[in-house]
Amino acid sequence: MEFTVSKNDLVRELGLSQGVVEKKTTIPILSNVLIEAQGDRIILTATDLELGIRCTCPAKVKKEGAGTVPAKRLLDYTRLLPDADLNLRFLENHWASITCGRSRTKMAGMSRESFPELPQMPEALTEIPVGLLASMISRTSFAISMEESRFTLNGALLLLGSAGITMVATDGHRLAYVESPMPANGNLTPGFRALVPKKAMGEIVKLAEQSAPELKLVFAGDDNHLFFKFGERLLITRKLTGNFPDYERVLPKDNTNVAKLKKEEIRSAIERVAQFADERSRAIRVQFGQGEVRVFSSSVETGESEESVPGEYVGPDLEIGFNAQYLLDFLRAIQQDDVSFALKDQKSAGELRPGSEETKDHYRYVVMPMRI
Amino acid sequence: MKTIFHVDMDAFFVSVEELFDPSLKGKAVVVGGRPNERGVVSAASYEARKFGVHSALPLRTAYKLCPHAIFVDGHPDRYRDCSQRVFEVLHRFSPQVEMASIDEAYVDMTGTERLHGPPLRAAHTLHEAMRAETQLNCSIGIGTSRLVAKISSDQAKPNGILMVIPGQEARFLAPLDVRKVPGVGKVTERNLNVLGIHKVGDLAKLDESSLESRFGKWGLALAGKARGLDAGGWFDSEVGEDIEPKSISHEHTYNEDTSDSEVLEATLARLSEMVGRRLRENGLHARTLQLKLRYQDFSTITRAHTLEQPTQVDTEIFEEIRALFRKNWRAGRKVRLLGVHAASFEAAGPQLDLLGESKHERWEQALAAADRLRDKYGESAVSLASGMRGRFRERTHENPAGLPGKPK
Repeated sequence: MEFTVSKNDLVRELGLSQGVVEKKTTIPILSNVLIEAQGDRIILTATDLELGIRCTCPAKVKKEGAGTVPAKRLLDYTRLLPDADLNLRFLENHWASITCGRSRTKMAGMSRESFPELPQMPEALTEIPVGLLASMISRTSFAISMEESRFTLNGALLLLGSAGITMVATDGHRLAYVESPMPANGNLTPGFRALVPKKAMGEIVKLAEQSAPELKLVFAGDDNHLFFKFGERLLITRKLTGNFPDYERVLPKDNTNVAKLKKEEIRSAIERVAQFADERSRAIRVQFGQGEVRVFSSSVETGESEESVPGEYVGPDLEIGFNAQYLLDFLRAIQQDDVSFALKDQKSAGELRPGSEETKDHYRYVVMPMRI
Repeated sequence: MKTIFHVDMDAFFVSVEELFDPSLKGKAVVVGGRPNERGVVSAASYEARKFGVHSALPLRTAYKLCPHAIFVDGHPDRYRDCSQRVFEVLHRFSPQVEMASIDEAYVDMTGTERLHGPPLRAAHTLHEAMRAETQLNCSIGIGTSRLVAKISSDQAKPNGILMVIPGQEARFLAPLDVRKVPGVGKVTERNLNVLGIHKVGDLAKLDESSLESRFGKWGLALAGKARGLDAGGWFDSEVGEDIEPKSISHEHTYNEDTSDSEVLEATLARLSEMVGRRLRENGLHARTLQLKLRYQDFSTITRAHTLEQPTQVDTEIFEEIRALFRKNWRAGRKVRLLGVHAASFEAAGPQLDLLGESKHERWEQALAAADRLRDKYGESAVSLASGMRGRFRERTHENPAGLPGKPK
């Protein structure tokens, strides 16, 4: 196999595979990228068996064929080459011979036979605007559990229906929910439901950044996999199995005590006060009263801090403990200038929403208090 | 000046077994398991000790030394019951009682002269009361420090009382081997011997600074100990003072190595349960959980995980440990030992749960009920179903969970 490709094209597409290739070297072939030369292009494939990515690059193919080389080493090396055309040829012993300008390198590779086969993309279910999906991910993924033992919470729930698209993530202490109307343009009755692993969500955001925002990705799914096709780039992920918790049950219904605040003010107040919260629990106390919201922290080791933020509040005086990090995650994820806190009491979940009325979609964030 | 008693039960496990089976009396008895089992001797009767059998010796070695000995399984529940009765007797003599292990205790008798008479008479009364109420013999050492009391009870064995008169501590200690000093083990002994120090008297002659320069803080403690003072680590605390544990762990060594994943996971369930039980007894929540895994070839790995929320619930501990196990066990490889270790203790996790609050709380209530059953009917009264196949006979241990008056 032999082809010539622009170094910059190759570096750009290889970069997209870096988040996918296996970092641990338990199965060496998974650290490699599969390079296939066909027609007028090359196809780059990487997988860790959970997640797979396939990208293409235009190339002058002299001889069709395929081979694999370590993905990170190939990227690290080609990145350093001058901006010129690069010639790659696989040798008999599966090594790759690379020439570019005055540089000549032979890189140890492995036969393509041992590279795992990626599943075939089935018929498309629908198209999703790339920008919309990426923004839904960035507003929910922080609420995904880091506890590997809670495997059904190691990803987000994706719901596609004729009315729109919904994404929900939770770690058992807080829950982020985004629902967005999306004109139905595919076979979405009775609706589609799947758990998307956290790692795949990160890669979707990266691919979205490399795409035009108005691009619509093609979405498909089979029994075990989900497929996201961004133009010529395809991301395949294994679905998480198991039952996602019944999130509708925990969305508060009667939180009638509502505070409306300026996001910047409450965010920076919490950021400062949280410097003196217990390092592990990150607990702060938030007092809701007429005309203002006060934030307190104290820790035996570091000291104490308090701050007050003006705001509208309707309801009886309330003091509730929260994990400062949980509140900040939400306040940093929203674009809007206003935020509302809807509360019930010290022991029930509070709900945060972007405050302004004219939002295109529905973003709700539910946080359980801490005992104080 | 303090008056400290160190009360040490004579051949405790063996004596308790004799209560249940009087035919064992006067014979060579080894408690700990069958002679062909893995594991070690928990206790040996004085007759068996004549053949060189002592605790911590592998059972198979004990069998070689003393093949005619009667080998009996340990009964941890019996020992706990008797230990509780011992504690009750001691507690009548002083409010300051600290069980240092299941069969020995420090009793602070300072200021009890008007009630119990001078120390030797009080010790005699205590000795008689112990015999009458528990049918067990003990030895009592009396000193001005716990260290001296402990060393003198050892010299008083079996079934004796020895008092070191205040002011005579150094003279009493001087002719003893340094190894007799609590805290001096094989390594320190070797290090001291290299310096020509064999007796406690040799140690007492050295000045503190040279010991400190050689052994650091431990050297200072040694200098104090040589003069009969309580110094270093646990000896720095008062009798009965609470010292928070830094970690809690349980391990199990299989009699036969196994690669049966169901058995292995059941053992982990059982060990998680034992760790959870001790966390609750101590009112602690652990944030870090660690799995210990030893393969047949003795290669050992430990893998820890830090939780987002600290826990003391058996099922939550087990879930984490099982996840660590599934991730790290090389399937098919035979396992010799498993261990579950909990650390980074905190008070209750303050974060309320959004999804499973009722589940977590229901477990807490169920476990509280289970703990009460265990208090009443023994440790094996209730257990997780997942741990049933992992049941093993609890090894007889000098430091089991829940000693009355013991720092936890």
